[in-house]
Amino acid sequence: MSHAGELISAYLDGELARHEIDQLQAHLATCGKCAAEMQEMQSVRSAVRSLPLLELPPGLIPEADAEVVPLRRNKGFLVGAAAAAVALIIAIAAIVTPSTPSVTLEELNSRYGARASLDPAFGPAKVVVPDLGDILE
Amino acid sequence: MRRAIALAAALVLLPSSAAFAADLDELLDESREAAYTAEQVITCSTPDGARNAVIELSQASGELHIGAPVAPEVEVASGFGGWTLLREGAVVSSANVQGAGEEPEPRYTVDEGTETEYLGRDATLYRMTGDGVVRAELIFDVEAGALLRVVTFNADGSVFCERRFVTFDPGIPPATDTGAAPSVESAEGGVESSLPETLGNFERLDVYEDEEGFIFAYYSDGFFSFAVFQTPAIVAAGSGSLVTVGGQPYIRSSGAGDVTYAWEASSGGMALVGDLPPDMHEEVLSGLPAPEDPGLFRRLWRNLFGGANSPRPL
Repeated sequence: MSHAGELISAYLDGELARHEIDQLQAHLATCGKCAAEMQEMQSVRSAVRSLPLLELPPGLIPEADAEVVPLRRNKGFLVGAAAAAVALIIAIAAIVTPSTPSVTLEELNSRYGARASLDPAFGPAKVVVPDLGDILE
Repeated sequence: MRRAIALAAALVLLPSSAAFAADLDELLDESREAAYTAEQVITCSTPDGARNAVIELSQASGELHIGAPVAPEVEVASGFGGWTLLREGAVVSSANVQGAGEEPEPRYTVDEGTETEYLGRDATLYRMTGDGVVRAELIFDVEAGALLRVVTFNADGSVFCERRFVTFDPGIPPATDTGAAPSVESAEGGVESSLPETLGNFERLDVYEDEEGFIFAYYSDGFFSFAVFQTPAIVAAGSGSLVTVGGQPYIRSSGAGDVTYAWEASSGGMALVGDLPPDMHEEVLSGLPAPEDPGLFRRLWRNLFGGANSPRPL
């Protein structure tokens, strides 16, 4: 094997069979030029993969516009945003909507009146008068 | 002879309060045992304005029935730890507490009394004093022992409330039909509570808890009394108004002879119901958990899931 340029490219693409990989690795161990080339190609590929993905401006490639498919991460974002909006609506409704009061003055009066009836001063001096306005409503 | 003089001196020097306080209890006991039918007019000068009521009372064997001429379909039966409000024979509200705790130390004294006449009957007027201030005037019927008129005073001597009989008919009243036997809620005493054992001159006598999670404590100074409630829910203060007492905001509702304060504390909904004069309000309220905004998270939790106590740590 004099120069393994094409084999290196295929190796990096994962297209080599097991015996071809063994042959390439044996060659790289003895050929500094090929080993340096492989290292350089790996660096270039890593750099390209680390670049951010950018969306094309609309109208730049009309054909591409017609086939735009939402990215997966945008779909997840929309689902999350919808869930957050629903949670916010529930929260606002829960805060704005007055909760049902479960204790009325009449209930308090009945308990106070019951205990007051055991008081030494119970009688005309300690009559608990119910609020007729509330009762007759 | 010397021993006789010493004994006489000791009797003269005995604190009069103990003897007179016993007399007050005896007078009130006798009144509670009296049987009669009467019409009572209540006029009170409260911080929220005048509060008046006319009620009909009939008492026998320690049980009191209360009616209102303006609403004959409404009746209250009270006595021996029970209180039931009926409308057209149906129970609107009821409660029952079992057993009374200790009685407070005597704080008030009454004078020897002066003969008077009330509603054309022989009566005795007593003045009840605490800390050198006349807090009440009480007129008892000599023959029946019933309390015919009581006037309570603020610390400055102004009248807080007057409750006076305008008609009085001694004797066992006709049996009153209270309709079907009410199913009352029962509250057990002797519950542990973080509520203070004393508030001003008031002693905590009992703490109760009922099936609905109500914890309430009963306080008395020997004559005036109030109950403090800790509830797992918000207190609906009805027609109460927002007031500031001791620099703190409360919802206050004044009635003919009683006052209610409602507020929300970090421990949950709270309320105070009692017959204490206005000059005692601030001292009592200052000893209780202060009003506190429950905060967004607790309000949200409560509105979604109910209850005021959860979640605890904020």
